[in-house]
Amino acid sequence: MSRVRARFGAALVVAAVLAGALGGCGAKQGGGTEGGQADKEPYRIGAVVSLTGTYAGLGVPEKKAIELQRDAVNASGGINGHPVEVIFEDDATDPAKAAAAATKLIDQDGVLAIIGATGTAQTMAMRSEVQRAGVPQVSMAGGSVITDQLDPMVFQTPWPNRIVVPFVLKAIAGKGLAKVALISDSGGYGKDGHAIIAKEAPAAGITIVADETFNPGDTDMSSQLTKIRAAKPDAVLMWNAGKEAALIAKGMKQLGMTQPLFGGPGNGRKEFIQGAGDGAEGFRFAAGKILVPSAYGTDTEAYRVATEFIDSYTQKYGEPPDIFAGHAYDAFLIVVDALKRVEGEPTPAKLRDAIEQTKGLVGVGGTFSYSPTDHNGLTESELVLYRVENGAWVLDTQ
Amino acid sequence: MKARYRQALVALGAAALLAVPLVVSDRYVLKVLTFVGVNSIIVVGLALLFGFAGQVSLGHAAFFGIGAYASAYLAGTLRMPWPASLAGAVAVAALAGWAVAMPSLRLKGHYLAMATLGFNEIMSVVFIEAKAVTGGIDGMGNVPFPSLGALELRTPATLYLLVWGVALLVIAAAANVVRRKPGRAMRALHATEPGAAASGVNVAAVKVQTFALSAALAGLAGALYAHTVGFISPSTFGLDLSILLMASVVLGGRESLAGPLAAMAVFTLLPYAGALVPGVSRVAAETIQDWVPDLVGLTVVVVLIVKSRRGGLTRPSGTTTDAGDVR
Repeated sequence: MSRVRARFGAALVVAAVLAGALGGCGAKQGGGTEGGQADKEPYRIGAVVSLTGTYAGLGVPEKKAIELQRDAVNASGGINGHPVEVIFEDDATDPAKAAAAATKLIDQDGVLAIIGATGTAQTMAMRSEVQRAGVPQVSMAGGSVITDQLDPMVFQTPWPNRIVVPFVLKAIAGKGLAKVALISDSGGYGKDGHAIIAKEAPAAGITIVADETFNPGDTDMSSQLTKIRAAKPDAVLMWNAGKEAALIAKGMKQLGMTQPLFGGPGNGRKEFIQGAGDGAEGFRFAAGKILVPSAYGTDTEAYRVATEFIDSYTQKYGEPPDIFAGHAYDAFLIVVDALKRVEGEPTPAKLRDAIEQTKGLVGVGGTFSYSPTDHNGLTESELVLYRVENGAWVLDTQ
Repeated sequence: MKARYRQALVALGAAALLAVPLVVSDRYVLKVLTFVGVNSIIVVGLALLFGFAGQVSLGHAAFFGIGAYASAYLAGTLRMPWPASLAGAVAVAALAGWAVAMPSLRLKGHYLAMATLGFNEIMSVVFIEAKAVTGGIDGMGNVPFPSLGALELRTPATLYLLVWGVALLVIAAAANVVRRKPGRAMRALHATEPGAAASGVNVAAVKVQTFALSAALAGLAGALYAHTVGFISPSTFGLDLSILLMASVVLGGRESLAGPLAAMAVFTLLPYAGALVPGVSRVAAETIQDWVPDLVGLTVVVVLIVKSRRGGLTRPSGTTTDAGDVR
């Protein structure tokens, strides 16, 4: 008996020591986060990103990009003398967590605007919270639903599916491939893309010969791929943004399928190439120009903005930014640009109006011009087609 | 005298809980405390089922989800009045509980735990795949606020009062049940089934009724949750929550309502430590958040180890066999 009690006591002591160490380390961290002079009240912005879960590969570079730009703004004196404070929340690629994070940012932290979320489903889950509180939201997700049904509070930085899908379908048709097998995920972004592909395919002269779906987090695609192989398509088009893409590319290789594989901006991530290995070779996808900046045209403002960002990001983190870092750059830029234009003490309502008046703002993903009827403001001209070659992205110029 | 003292204490506690919105103005803190109210309704049902009747369930998050989706669908999609959707959700959850309990009558201990665990997993898949009703993996948004006719409860304070009002009624009712005949039947069942049968307890009926009752309470909590937060998705109703609830009852002790409620309150509030306690740094708060499931699991393990050696934290050793044992 006494032995048990002694052990229990020992465990308690260990726990207490750990808790103490934890508290101490936390306090140190907490004290050191805000550098620089804080003579004016900081402007608080919330950011809901997926740092864990299937979109972690998107959320992590997004957070890095925002931190980089926040430091840059604060180093140059902040906005009208106010430093910018960004409060990050991890939604774990879970809509329920994203909704809860929005509640916390709005009710407890009193943020002026929310950047996020990383994913379409998460962005949509935050909508009722954002609407009720009247706080503007700048999403980094590419689902068309985000801005199709115009919500006065919600803005979007990536090219939505309604712009990307026709572009990709045209590219497929242009290569003389008419029978396409579709595989998409059942989450917000995949579902959104699926609906638009089904609608736009006939116009592009493309027939969908197989239509398979999977759930985010699935770890086996063999049944879907077997059905796709049986349909004998000319090409396979996958539409998702999660880490499952690598499974599909790898699975096709294992099943001996040689059809060309196409995808969207959600696949322009390093983990895809690393995860799929040589299954990624020849994979083509549409995205913005940040991956190969010469596509902007070297004498343009966009090229200058992008290369400046790419250089500072590469210098700080030791790897070049991807398109998701670019979306985060744009989202932060849009909020900061609008904050600069707000007259007097900023409120969420004033900030929203200022964001809606964004005109000709050159970012990484494109040039943004919002209006009361368009909260995305991008066009097909911001897109290019990429191909994976020797484990790297190259422009696919046929 | 002692009983009267206790009664006064309980009444005082209830009054204090209902007075919280007068003191707390932070909307987020109120929301978090509302979650404690929601969870307390489920835990009361689970305490009746496991703490008193000795029937294990690792599937109560599923009943919680059934109630949430049913009410959200009835009120949100079918536009039924809120009280009707609430009643409908409770009925659906009770029915589901009854349907699970019937074939599980012959199961006890580990086997019942496994059956309910399986049920939870099945329902997780159903919540994802029944897209027409549940909205699939993306969940359901824009669940309307609770309303009675023209009166709509939409502020955190009124929602808090609604949830805690219901929770206190449920706790009072459960306290009554356990003191009377049904409670004695449950305890008899827990101690020894043949003995209970010999004393005239309809063992099968008590088992099924208790299971259906506790499923109905979980459904009620789910319905309140859906309308309070306005958004539900499958991940909320997974095994994590079932285990957290079960851990609360294990830690809170047998034949007790107050113990499980206290344990649940701690477990529920732990992830929000950063928001509730001023001065907790962001890093410390995030660390706690990351470790909550591990803390819960570890607590259960420690309790079970200590319990199996000493016969329990809250009871003297060697009185009865444990509910988890296969007899």
